[in-house]
Order: sequence, then structure tokens, then C-alpha cells
Amino acid sequence: MTRVAALTIGLLVTAAGACRRPPQLGDPLPGLSAAERARFERGRAVFDSVFTPETGLGPLFNANGCAECHEDPVRGGTGDEVERHAAAFHPGTKGRPCDELAALGGPVYQNHVTPALHTALGIDSEPVPPQATAIAARTTPDIFGFGLLDAVPDSTILSYADPDDLDRDGISGRPNRFFDGRLGRFGRKALVPALLEFNEGALAAEQGITTPAVPAEETVAGQPLSAGVDPAPDPELSDSAVALLDTFVRLLAPPAPEKLSRQARHGRDAFDSIGCNRCHIPVLRTGDSPIPALRHKEVAAYTDLLLHDMGPELADICLGDATPSEFRTEPLMGVRRMARFLHDGRATTLEQAIELHNGEAARTRDRFRALSAEDRAAVVAFLKTL
Amino acid sequence: MSRFVLGPLCIIAAFATVATAQQTPQPPPPPPTHHVQGAVHAVDVRGRALEVLTGVGMAFRVVRLQVPADTRMTAAGAPLTLARLQAGDLVRVSYGARPGGFVAYSIERLERVP
Repeated sequence: MTRVAALTIGLLVTAAGACRRPPQLGDPLPGLSAAERARFERGRAVFDSVFTPETGLGPLFNANGCAECHEDPVRGGTGDEVERHAAAFHPGTKGRPCDELAALGGPVYQNHVTPALHTALGIDSEPVPPQATAIAARTTPDIFGFGLLDAVPDSTILSYADPDDLDRDGISGRPNRFFDGRLGRFGRKALVPALLEFNEGALAAEQGITTPAVPAEETVAGQPLSAGVDPAPDPELSDSAVALLDTFVRLLAPPAPEKLSRQARHGRDAFDSIGCNRCHIPVLRTGDSPIPALRHKEVAAYTDLLLHDMGPELADICLGDATPSEFRTEPLMGVRRMARFLHDGRATTLEQAIELHNGEAARTRDRFRALSAEDRAAVVAFLKTL
Repeated sequence: MSRFVLGPLCIIAAFATVATAQQTPQPPPPPPTHHVQGAVHAVDVRGRALEVLTGVGMAFRVVRLQVPADTRMTAAGAPLTLARLQAGDLVRVSYGARPGGFVAYSIERLERVP
């Protein structure tokens, strides 16, 4: 081969790589092996499963399949369902001030029941017990890029924590911990330590699907199920099906940020200068992983995965170590596709969401308010590229 | 010894062997040991019972355990009493299923609630 031909082929290969389109929403991460991609596709089929009472749905449930909620604009996206979580918070109590009402069916109180449970108990949804001190509304998050978040080392998250605000910047992020002591990162209160458990727990709490990891059904506000209301034998989903589902979720690519306009570049600078980036850390780096596509990668997550006090106006339930007013910094990746914002969807615009920041974010919110109208619009324009 | 004497002796010996075997039955295999690590949800010292909060993702569970007097309880290697456990303590428990429910074999307090 002549040097010219070799150079031409080299240039073509380089150009092909450069022109490779970024993953679209719902696509797998780039760089998967054929076997990983095949498992991703098989996992998508599990994700798309629609359950019935005969195949395991319920007796208590919020949705009849993963894709009923995570549907917009594609599988893995968000949805319009709003569910109820409840807990009891007793500040000053010796020991744990938070009671997640686990012995009373909490903290997830399902909105729907199967016909058999309705016939047995005459209920249309799981009742929240009177012991609850707060009921929280929870919107459906999208789950793109969650595999990358799962692969961020604990040490990275802890490096951003400043629970005693030693740097005196008014921001004191702290980690939540699961009941067994592990660092949490998933969920609006950052309680769940690992993606697999997040998925397994969702099967049980959202769909009433038992698995080898969660072999028993939810109770009805703490009362065992009546005989005959759950016809499917447990576990209702096998370990291998759960593993495929987990693979699909784990390998969903994060939304690719859009190219920045001049206004958006200006907005990014303002986002940094007023301090949004102190909690919404722009880039997290993953650690080691058995999956090369997740190993030592950067993800534009815009979160520190820590808890921050957001002020009394947003407060609802406690969860683990999180007080009612503490929430995990919401990842902003994909925020441009959201129609509602904050944990309960109360904000319908990004400006409203920023305005509702308080507590540790009050100073940054005030700096946002102090920006010129042009600069505020630039910040929003930047957010709409994420 | 005549055959008339040997015969009854053999029968008696056989019965004796069976009777002895019935008096000392083989112990049943021990129930499988399970482990749970979680937060103490409640302690009932008088009723010698413990509840441990655990779960998978957002599916939470409370494991209720009886704590017999001979359950090995430790904290940092030192002996511990049930009365010194409190809600929120991080514990690791080995236990087994018995006809009356779960029974704790050992309880180790890993962290004390602040």
C-alpha cells in the first residue's frame, strides 16, 4: 500500500469516528461489546413488560411496568405519574428521629390495587397510616445515565461533602446513608446505595413484583395480604430477568448536552459565577467498572449526589438521615426535556425552580435574582442545553 | 447355651437397641443461618425482641427477631446487653427461622446512633 493510500484510509477512519453521532435518548452507551449490546436489547424487553395480576402485578402497585412511568419521550424517560411517599419525623427523639413507616407499609404508598385486593378490602389505593407526619409527592425521574452515576466512587461523592460548612460558604452538603451504613446516592433523598437495588426495589414498591432479592409482597399499611389476592407464585421475576432489566437501565446513555450558543456560553459562565456549580457539580468521573463503557468516564451530571437543606418551603418527608428539608442535588443532565421541576413537580419553569431554592441555596438564588434580565435568560438558555 | 436361650436374648437385644436409638435421636440439622445488617428499629428488652430496619432500594422491611438469653451480643468485641441497644444503632445480626419466628444467634453493634 502506498503512503498516500494509507494516509487516506487513516483520514477516513478518523473522520468516521469524528462524525459518529452522539447517542440519542434511549440509546445504549457508546463502546459496548456486541454481547453487552445484546443484553441491553434483551433488558429493554423486560423493561417493556406489562404485568397483570396473573404474572405478578400488585396486589399494590403504582404502575403495571417500568415503561408505564419511564416513557417520555422514549423508554427510560420521565412520565406524568405522581406517587405518594410518607414518613413520620420526630425531631428531638432519642435515636432515630425518622420513621419511614416501614412496619406500616411505607414509605411508598401505592396508588392502585388489583381487583382481587379491592374486592377483599374495599380499597382503591394503599391508605397512609395516621402515624405519618408528612406525605410527599414524587414525580418520575428519567433514568438516563444512571449506570454512570452508579460507577462514581464513594470517595468522589464524599470529597464534596462539607457537613459542618468548614469553608463558610453557606453550603454544607452531607451524604445520606442506607440503613446498613452504606453511602446512598439514588432517589430524591439519596438513600439508595446502588443501581441494582434501586431497580429491584422499584419492581417491588412500584409494581408489586417480587424477586429473589425482595421475595415478599408489600403489606397493606402493615397488614399482611389476605389469602388469595396474590395468585402469582413468588418470586414473580427471576434473577436472570432482573439482571437483564438492570443491564438495560445501567447501560442507557446519558442525554448528550447540546452545542452551546453564544448566549448559553454566557449563561454557563453566570451559572458558575453565582455558585450554582457548588452543588450542581458539572462533571463527575466514574471509577473502575467491569464494563469498559462505564470505566473511568466523565458524565456531565450536574450533581454532587449529596443532601442539602433546601429550606422549609420545600420540606416534606424524612428518609434515612435526610431531614424533611434536605434533598439530594438533582442531576441536571436531561433537564431541558423536563416539563415539571423539583422533586414534586411544583415548578413549571426553570425560573420558578430556581426561585424556589432556599436554605443552603439561598445565597445563590439571591445572586441569580440580582442578575440582569439578560443574564438570567442566559442561565436558563444554558440549562436548556443540558 | 441352648438355642432356646439364645433366641429370646437376641430378641431382647434387638429391642434394647431400638429403644436406645429412640431415646437418643439424631439432632435435626440446624436451620440455615441468615444475616441482616441494618438499623435498630425497636427494642423490647422485657420481651427479648428486636426489630431491624433493612430493605432493597425503596422497598423497606422490618425483620422481627426473638433474642434468647444465650444470643451472643457484642460491640467492638466487648459484651453487650439488649438494654444497651437503641433505635438507630447499626447492627449486624445472624439469625435463623424457627416455628415461632426468627431467632437471633448473634448481634454485633457496628455503630452507635449519635
